[in-house]
Amino acid sequence: MKRNAPRIAALVWLLVVAVAGVYLAGRVHAGLSFRTDLLALLPREEVDPVLQQANETVTRSLARRVVALVGHAGRDEARAAARRLTDDLSATGLIETAGGGFDGDRMKRIGTLYFPHRQGLLSPGDRAALKAGQGEEVAIRALSQAFGFVGLADAGLLRTDPFLLLPSFFTSLPFPLSRLTLDEGMLTVVEGGTTWILVNAVLRRDPFELAAQDAVVGAFDRSVAALRAQTPGVEVKRLGAVFFAHAGASTGMREATILTTLTIVGAVLMIVAVFRRVAPLLHNVLALGVGLGFGMAGSLALFGELHVATLLFGSSLIGVAVDYGLYYSGSLFDPALRTPRERLRSIMPGITLGLVTALSGYASLMLAPMPGLRQIAAFSILGLLATYATVVLWLPLLDRAQPARHGRGMLWAAGRLGAFWDVVLGAQHRRTRVALAALVVAAGGTGLFLLRSDDDVRRMQSLSPGLVRQQEEVQRLIGAGTASQFLLVQAPDTETALRREEAVVATLERLKGEGALAGYQMPAAFVPSAERQRENRALVRDVLEQPLLERQRAQLGLPAPTEPAVASDAPLTLDAALAGETVPFLGELVLAPGLHVVALQGLTRPDAVRAALAGAEGVRLVDPTADFSALLAKYRQRALLLTGLAALLMVPALAWRYGWRGAAGIMGPPVAAVLLTPGLLGLAGQDFSFFHAMALVLVLSIGMDYAVFCAEGGTARRPITILSVFLASLMTQLSFGLLSVSSAFAVHGFGLTMLVGILLAFLMAPLAGRCGPRRALRSDANASVLM
Amino acid sequence: MTRLFALILAGLLTATALPTRAAESPSSGMSTIVEGQVLRGRFVQERFLKGFQAPLKSEGRFLLAPGRGLVWRAETPFAVTTVMSPAGLLQEVRGAETMRLPAGRLPFMSKLYTMLGGALTGDWKALESAFAVTREGDAKAWRLILTPLKAEDPTTPIREIRVKGGRFVEEVEVVKPDGDRDRLIFLDQSLSTEPPAGEDAQSLSAAGRL
Repeated sequence: MKRNAPRIAALVWLLVVAVAGVYLAGRVHAGLSFRTDLLALLPREEVDPVLQQANETVTRSLARRVVALVGHAGRDEARAAARRLTDDLSATGLIETAGGGFDGDRMKRIGTLYFPHRQGLLSPGDRAALKAGQGEEVAIRALSQAFGFVGLADAGLLRTDPFLLLPSFFTSLPFPLSRLTLDEGMLTVVEGGTTWILVNAVLRRDPFELAAQDAVVGAFDRSVAALRAQTPGVEVKRLGAVFFAHAGASTGMREATILTTLTIVGAVLMIVAVFRRVAPLLHNVLALGVGLGFGMAGSLALFGELHVATLLFGSSLIGVAVDYGLYYSGSLFDPALRTPRERLRSIMPGITLGLVTALSGYASLMLAPMPGLRQIAAFSILGLLATYATVVLWLPLLDRAQPARHGRGMLWAAGRLGAFWDVVLGAQHRRTRVALAALVVAAGGTGLFLLRSDDDVRRMQSLSPGLVRQQEEVQRLIGAGTASQFLLVQAPDTETALRREEAVVATLERLKGEGALAGYQMPAAFVPSAERQRENRALVRDVLEQPLLERQRAQLGLPAPTEPAVASDAPLTLDAALAGETVPFLGELVLAPGLHVVALQGLTRPDAVRAALAGAEGVRLVDPTADFSALLAKYRQRALLLTGLAALLMVPALAWRYGWRGAAGIMGPPVAAVLLTPGLLGLAGQDFSFFHAMALVLVLSIGMDYAVFCAEGGTARRPITILSVFLASLMTQLSFGLLSVSSAFAVHGFGLTMLVGILLAFLMAPLAGRCGPRRALRSDANASVLM
Repeated sequence: MTRLFALILAGLLTATALPTRAAESPSSGMSTIVEGQVLRGRFVQERFLKGFQAPLKSEGRFLLAPGRGLVWRAETPFAVTTVMSPAGLLQEVRGAETMRLPAGRLPFMSKLYTMLGGALTGDWKALESAFAVTREGDAKAWRLILTPLKAEDPTTPIREIRVKGGRFVEEVEVVKPDGDRDRLIFLDQSLSTEPPAGEDAQSLSAAGRL
């Protein structure tokens, strides 16, 4: 019975792995999709759900916008090309509205909406004139339009609006695309002999979805290529998050392909060169494969949908998992261990403690209120358990090897690292030791002092310079670009919100005069508050109609009115204006009743705007990019705290096994690596981000494995242990240290931290070898049962 | 914009006369106007609006300097000055600006300038791209009827333009789809090489700086 126990356990594990495999295959077959947007990964900010909602709505609406300018020397060519591009984009089925969005019908609807309420609607200029008692000027302007060479007046309008207040209100509406004008239904700007036509579209899907990116950008590129072939001289400039996301994803894919190839080739070469046989390679691939597959299946079952970053950081468990398999394979070099079971027994305490400490470390990630970190932690914990089980239950059964005899040279070299520390720690080198420690502390301290943090989300990814240039050109051509920042207006109801907007107009005008911003659109500009409309009606009555209406009619030769002068006493309501999407842009500015957005253009000094609005009730500047960066900063700090917490959580297991002093001795190397790494990064001039911090979590877990292996290995087997640790660290460097060449700052930072941290952890690991176990591990007993 | 369109057109036609291309010109009796020459005259503008007791009538004088622009100075019932140049349009009442439209803000204006330029050089293609042109009469008393090619174009809501002239354009009538019409009568026209001076020169350079 006892003899069969290992086989039964292995079979049970096989069953579990098979179930996970079938589940994973089913999910993959059903079409596995990953979330790719950072917003989904980062925590829901618990502070203000309203702000968060506004932030997401506005950011999503901005991110889904696709803008292109189609230019040609000939107006007709440009227009035809723009129509063709619009059609091609619409054909993808992923575009909600395409085209400039102005047609005669819409103009008519706008007219019908506003006309009955015209006496409550005044342009800012007319309102100012009437408030200053200058009704005469408004009257004269209307006459000049009626009699003059050019005017907007037609008979019907003059009869009902003899002061032409409504046309004046219309021309004062703050449409944001300031340099564009409507030319036969198409928004157009002419510059330097080129006619540019605006193609405006909104994505139906998230711009960060890879499939949507490919479809839309692919259709766009094909259309542009066809246009260029068909009409020489056509130029197309593009702007939109989807283009940046697509370019970023392509760069990422290319990089990932190269790095993955390097990693796999490097790992195969390393294992084959070291062991001179293929079995260890297969064993390790099996252990890692089961770990990754199980981690993925398990976290998919737990969370339903995974973020691509979970996959990325989750796969980093390879760095830890590889330790177990390679530690097992490394024991091949011990001639004393003749059977697989002896080998397993020799490494069992090491990898068990390694697992326990790593799991404690990852458990700390579970404590963070960040959905992404939880997914990563769950993925890693499940994956590590599976790798551990595979190494313990399967490798001894698969292993048929005799001890390897060719390792003398490598073991000697590994022994030198141990010997180096013996010398340093020896009694006669006290001064050297002190000097070395002082040097390390000074360097690390200086580095930490020099280390700056950088959480700017815009620098975390590498933006395609070509697209950035096109974006700037498009924004210059169409006028000041809409800023990602906006004003959020919060009020108990619509009327209060509109009044609050009207209350900040003077401030915004002053800021505009100072050049802090170029323009703004608020719902109140399209639909004034009921209070403001009442005021306007009173102004029109008192300053314009009572003193001047009769004379105006006489001068225009208007017959006496047959209908009452006041068309409608009821004010225009925002709901009426929103219905049927009559007024362009207005829909985007109203998130919910009482929750409005004031869009800003050409914002150059957000701080000035924020400061100027400090006293305004219910109005504040929201800067999603800055907020997101602040969030990254917060979570950088939190990740560092969690690393500290993870270290503390590892202490009980170590103390139980090695005593308090032993635990301190074993904690020493990994903790030193975690502390020294940021210092060295600082010396190298690297800025520290959330992604660096995430790498430190791994450096701690992996470094802890190395230290525990060295402690468990004891002095006699030290060269073999150090060789195993070296191989494991090399594998980790191939997987993650390589990432330091990435062009994306986030990935580069993660990789560089791993490179430095793992190197330090490996070099210092033998120091832990001086701390022997104080107590037997229960799994020693388990191991012997399994033998 | 209708009025803008119609009246500029009137301005062009006033200036449109190219004996050198008499065979192609529909108004072969018209005087030539070339760069450096200036056309001056008086106008009477009447707007017949439905439901109004009488037409809105204004009178004044105008000046057209090819390459520089058009000054349209209404004197009665009150003073309104409108200046159009390749750079855009400017309107003033009693010295106070009431309208300013840079050409770049209005692609429609550049289209008009294409027509203006075409008409000035005797190239009727620009006009014929938008209107069907019917010609009647002889060189001494001719008539043109322009009807839009695109019947329901919302940016040119014109049913018909009727132009009468001899040596100069004498009368232009613009009829809109709803029946309103504008009539312009040109009087006392003279062509000279005397450059614009005084307030005309000032107005032209102000509009040229738009």
